[in-house]
Amino acid sequence: MRIMRVEKTLVSTNRIDSFGHRPLLVVQDKPGGTRSVAVDAVGCVPGDWVICVGSSAAREAAGSKDFPSDLTIVGIIDRWNAEG
Amino acid sequence: MEIWRVKDELVCTRRAPGLKSASLRVLQGQRGNIEVATDPVGAPVGKWVFTTLGSAARIAMPDATVTTDLTICGIIEGWEE
Repeated sequence: MRIMRVEKTLVSTNRIDSFGHRPLLVVQDKPGGTRSVAVDAVGCVPGDWVICVGSSAAREAAGSKDFPSDLTIVGIIDRWNAEG
Repeated sequence: MEIWRVKDELVCTRRAPGLKSASLRVLQGQRGNIEVATDPVGAPVGKWVFTTLGSAARIAMPDATVTTDLTICGIIEGWEE
């Protein structure tokens, strides 16, 4: 699992049907780092530090084995020291 | 999922049967890296898109038997880089 920070929500109207209306979030591994898109399975807000799962676990965590996610947020970290 | 910009369409007539007639796009990543992805959305050149990789890329295709490892999932609106 990877520790990421939620930056903002992602707006994408023209998407494949299997994604439905699931909320998508832009996440970063560190400030100024590479941005990725994750499916939100818990309900987090911008600024939260979260844990994300990848590969086939991301599909199951998003709700079903047929959901085409490769990065899913599975938890919000209560306290995280980014410098530590 | 990763964020990319559609750089070009890719024409590839002679291909493995597993790839079927899937349309292909050349994508440029945030660090300048280049990859090819299958495109079920119909993303125009210049748009920002997000992709899924690995086995999820096959599920993202309308036909899950297409042998791809990177598929465009949607076009991003209002992205500034």
